[in-house]
Amino acid sequence: MALPRPLRSTALLRFLPLLSSICILIGVAWLLLLPLDEYSRNTYISENALLPGGVHTYFHGSEQNVFRAYRHEVAALGQQNASTNEVAQVIGDIFKGQGLKVGTQKFKYEAGGRVYEGENVYAVLEAPRGDATEAVVLAAPWLNTDEVLNESGVALVMALARYFKRWSLWSKDVIFLITSDARAGPQAWVDAYHDTHTPPMVESLPVTSGALQGVIVLDYPTAAPWDRIHIVYDGTNGQLPNLDLFNTAVHIAGNQMGVRTSLQELHGHTDSYEDRLRTMLRGMVNQGLGHATGPHSVFIPYHIDAITLQVSGFGNHDEVTMGRIVESLFRSLNNLLEHFHQSFFFYLLLGSKKFVSIGTYLPSAMLIAVNFTIMAIGLWLKSGTKPKTVDAAVAITEKPSDEKNEKKDTEEKEKKDTTSDSSPLPPSSPHLESPRPLLLPLLFLLLTHTLSTIPLLLFNTLPHTLLCPAFTIFSLLSLCLPLLLSFTLHLFSPTPQVYTLLRCFSLLSLGLFLSALATLNFSLSFLIGLGAVPVTFIKPTKCKLVAVLQHLVLAVANPMVALVGVAVYMGEPLGTVLGEAQVGWEINGLWTAVVVWGVWWPAWVVAGVGAWGGGRMVEN
Amino acid sequence: MRLLHLLSAVLLFPSALTSFVAAADTPESVQLDNDYDESLLLKTLPGNSVLASFRFVSNGTFNDHHHTVFPRSLAQILEHSNARELHLKFSLGRWDAEQWGAQIWDGHTGGGTGVELWAWVEADDDAAADKRWTTLTNALSGLFCASLNFIDSTRTIRPVLSFQPEGHHANPDRLHLLHGGLPREPVCTENLTPFLKLLPCKGRAGISSLLDGHRLFDAQWQTMSIDVKPVCNSDGSQCRLQVVQTVDMVLDVERSLQRRDSPVPKPRPLDQLNCDPTRSYGSGDNCFPQSNLADLPWSLSEIFGRPLHGSCPLGTTDVCVVAPADRQVFASQASAEIKTGDKRCYTLPQKSDFDLLLPRQSPPLPIEVTPPPLYASRSFTGHGQERGGVQAVIRNPSPTETVKMIYLESLPWFMKPYLHTLKTTIPNSLVDLYYRPNLDRQRGAHLEAALEIPPNSTLTLTYDFDKSVLRYTEYPPDANRGFDIAPAVITTDKGYQIRTTSLLLNLPTPDFSMPYNTIILSSTVMALAFGSVFNLLVRRLVGAEEVPLRGQKLRGLVAKIKRLGEGKRKAE
Repeated sequence: MALPRPLRSTALLRFLPLLSSICILIGVAWLLLLPLDEYSRNTYISENALLPGGVHTYFHGSEQNVFRAYRHEVAALGQQNASTNEVAQVIGDIFKGQGLKVGTQKFKYEAGGRVYEGENVYAVLEAPRGDATEAVVLAAPWLNTDEVLNESGVALVMALARYFKRWSLWSKDVIFLITSDARAGPQAWVDAYHDTHTPPMVESLPVTSGALQGVIVLDYPTAAPWDRIHIVYDGTNGQLPNLDLFNTAVHIAGNQMGVRTSLQELHGHTDSYEDRLRTMLRGMVNQGLGHATGPHSVFIPYHIDAITLQVSGFGNHDEVTMGRIVESLFRSLNNLLEHFHQSFFFYLLLGSKKFVSIGTYLPSAMLIAVNFTIMAIGLWLKSGTKPKTVDAAVAITEKPSDEKNEKKDTEEKEKKDTTSDSSPLPPSSPHLESPRPLLLPLLFLLLTHTLSTIPLLLFNTLPHTLLCPAFTIFSLLSLCLPLLLSFTLHLFSPTPQVYTLLRCFSLLSLGLFLSALATLNFSLSFLIGLGAVPVTFIKPTKCKLVAVLQHLVLAVANPMVALVGVAVYMGEPLGTVLGEAQVGWEINGLWTAVVVWGVWWPAWVVAGVGAWGGGRMVEN
Repeated sequence: MRLLHLLSAVLLFPSALTSFVAAADTPESVQLDNDYDESLLLKTLPGNSVLASFRFVSNGTFNDHHHTVFPRSLAQILEHSNARELHLKFSLGRWDAEQWGAQIWDGHTGGGTGVELWAWVEADDDAAADKRWTTLTNALSGLFCASLNFIDSTRTIRPVLSFQPEGHHANPDRLHLLHGGLPREPVCTENLTPFLKLLPCKGRAGISSLLDGHRLFDAQWQTMSIDVKPVCNSDGSQCRLQVVQTVDMVLDVERSLQRRDSPVPKPRPLDQLNCDPTRSYGSGDNCFPQSNLADLPWSLSEIFGRPLHGSCPLGTTDVCVVAPADRQVFASQASAEIKTGDKRCYTLPQKSDFDLLLPRQSPPLPIEVTPPPLYASRSFTGHGQERGGVQAVIRNPSPTETVKMIYLESLPWFMKPYLHTLKTTIPNSLVDLYYRPNLDRQRGAHLEAALEIPPNSTLTLTYDFDKSVLRYTEYPPDANRGFDIAPAVITTDKGYQIRTTSLLLNLPTPDFSMPYNTIILSSTVMALAFGSVFNLLVRRLVGAEEVPLRGQKLRGLVAKIKRLGEGKRKAE
């Protein structure tokens, strides 16, 4: 160890656990401060080329009659329960009649024994004088995320296609896309567009255009007048569209059309602290789960900015308002000279006009992640120092049967507990370096990480009917696993140093991973960091009460309970949540499961082994 | 004569009337008697589109400073740069082969999106040719108000298989072919004006009087081309320098007519909509629009915004319309019609305005289009900023004929293809390959592949490439838009040329506000760190008890000086 002497001072070591706790507290408090006016900012349009709301919109008058006719067609198909093929046929014919280039694409995915198949139909409006280098997409799923017929949405896309065809001003191709469902269809289409699909399950696209610059999805399943637009913006794996796109939509709806916008299913946002916090937390949960919240989500991993516009409430706006908002949005997108890049890609929204940027919120997740690293450094330093009294060390490792020593040991232990993780050495004692046995802890850590592939494979490949039972069995086994591993470890007669090093490495990898993750998916890093907080403080102890408490805490703060918590939060049965995760993994390429099972779970198992370790050492 | 045969097939007109068209295109039967000819061909296309092809042929003389109708500015440039044959194309939009069929003039007038230039320059060696090429591009840049001077060594290639000289050259061994393109160049009115100035009637009379920037650049597809070559008559006794200028465009009749009514496509009144009466849905406020009800009526003055101002007195003028034989065509009174099959030609009045009118035709008449020998499209595969792939899909629609073709790709230097990843889906279809790898910042990659496509099959050519990271000053101002990649040129063995659309390549782009942030941040860190580290390194830390020793030394020194001063004073 080449650390200067003062750093090895036990006084500092004693403060490390305290420092860790402080980091966690500040991290959480930091997040709670964000909704305040002082720490958040008003949204603004950063890309001047967008000029949102700068144009007159003409989608009204007889266009509405056309829209109504198309809606009748859609409703009729919906009533007949037409197959996806028939739907694609009818819609394709309408697009063809408008003089557009039409393509269809069949797709089929399998996940957990269930089949997701359908047929996408799309039309390309080639920009007059355009060179097919750029395109924007207006999409509507035939069935929306709630599996309801997207009656007005599909009809509006068709009516707008006819209307857009008459303009000569398009600088980019406009693609009108009707996907047969809200999740697999868009994924199949965008994969095939970038040629990353797997034929013959997902067909190639017969017609393509240039690089996609933006996607607007309409989710408008009702024929009734509506009150406000709910904007969904979360992408898969917690990626977000450029804030400029969201701002443009809010600006056009609010300032040009006088339509209120809401987000994160919080209608009637009063701009109070509570509402802002709630919006932010809901956004964080969605980002943390990383699931596809709408058809737009699957575009974002391809660096295509996309949002879904959903209508909500009952009010006095109709399809003409929606059509004009979309028209104005596309005129703005059409103005874009470059790909969206001016505004933020990392942000937390507190309301439709308030946000926090990454520079402001990142320290909060970083502090949580740093707590693990600090603790790991502390444990490393501790593992390198020899205990002051030789007999004490012997007492722990070799001669625990000696009653005198045991008494001394428990005294020592109590003292240790009061000072948390402090070294047994008094500050003035001479520091002796002891060699560290690295092989055993590292191998053991490797073993737990290897074991984490089991749940990952299990929950991503099992048929969906078996998911719930498998989860129950796995949870019970998981709870017993630390004890089992502790027995196994004990076969190698580990010294307390081995336990310290094991915890050190486990925390180090956790800290490293979470701090790296914080820059990619802040919310996931923060939420997992928060769930893994007990891991920092769990250590081998001989105090029965503390041991029991530790076991209880570990039984509550673990990935399995978190999953149940997610199910409760979403109001869905556990099986559905597990099924969704499986579909996400298979179709949308979701990474959340890898982080939960590959990062949090092993850290939790190692902590459990540590918790059992103390008792076993005494038995020795 | 192959060419002639194909041409007549494309245009569906009988050989009796081809003289003026074929004469211009095939050197074998070139007409050199006239100084100047111009012709306009209008062709109805499916989907209510009209193809308008303007062609102006001027014949000049060699080595003579007497220019009659041949543009002097162009002749001087050619002479100065020793360019013997020149082809310059300005294009916008894309030719929709699926709907419109084969391109007119075998695709020889259409260039790639933006500007494309190739020329045969006479020079002793490559270096001299490069020098003359630079002279040529710079001079043309000034003449046509285009950024042709940006065609530097990184954008210039020397095609081996794709292009052959069209003119009759005295010493072909000394000719060097150079080719360059600017896919990003926006073609607009500032290029049209110098183009019209080269014409003898300068857009004031004859068919060029129809060329209005507003209409021309509202076309679905539009190309302007200038081809200069030396041509000789069959026995080689008479040779002249010929410039062929063409403007081809496809106009959307519906959009052109709408522009006449209102510049903004406002919703039509309900009674003007063509609603499908069979779909009423039980109430009157619905309208399922019927499509393709009729061939829309159009006239020259409506789609071009002005009538034709008589004929150009310096040469012959032809105006022809190719439309289904049953479709009515009305012409101005002072002109005579010669009708052959579905082609109608008109003699123009000398002074008065001339107009053509095609009335509304309901139900629409079917229009036959000749399929092109190949359909081609090209796109990028994959995503991300590190690497990518190119995929060219080429389809041979012919049920019987194998098509031999040459695929030419000219890539910028920052796109580094891997030749070992070059694959074709049809085995043994790759006959020959010419490849010149790129050199960073000096030249781009140049790929020419001779391919054979069996009848009725689709060939997919793919290759992977790496993206380079540019220096930050090498990015254009709109770096996040991406970089345009020039269209691929496909030449069949029968001389038909197709160009794919250009592509937009996204390179890893830095955040350009970042250098500023980085400079501030690193300066601050440097200042803070340097101060403290320097302090730690240089300052010797000593115990408190060691200090007096040095202090005494200093004090001793001071005392010494004092004493010295006192001693001096005493001495005084």
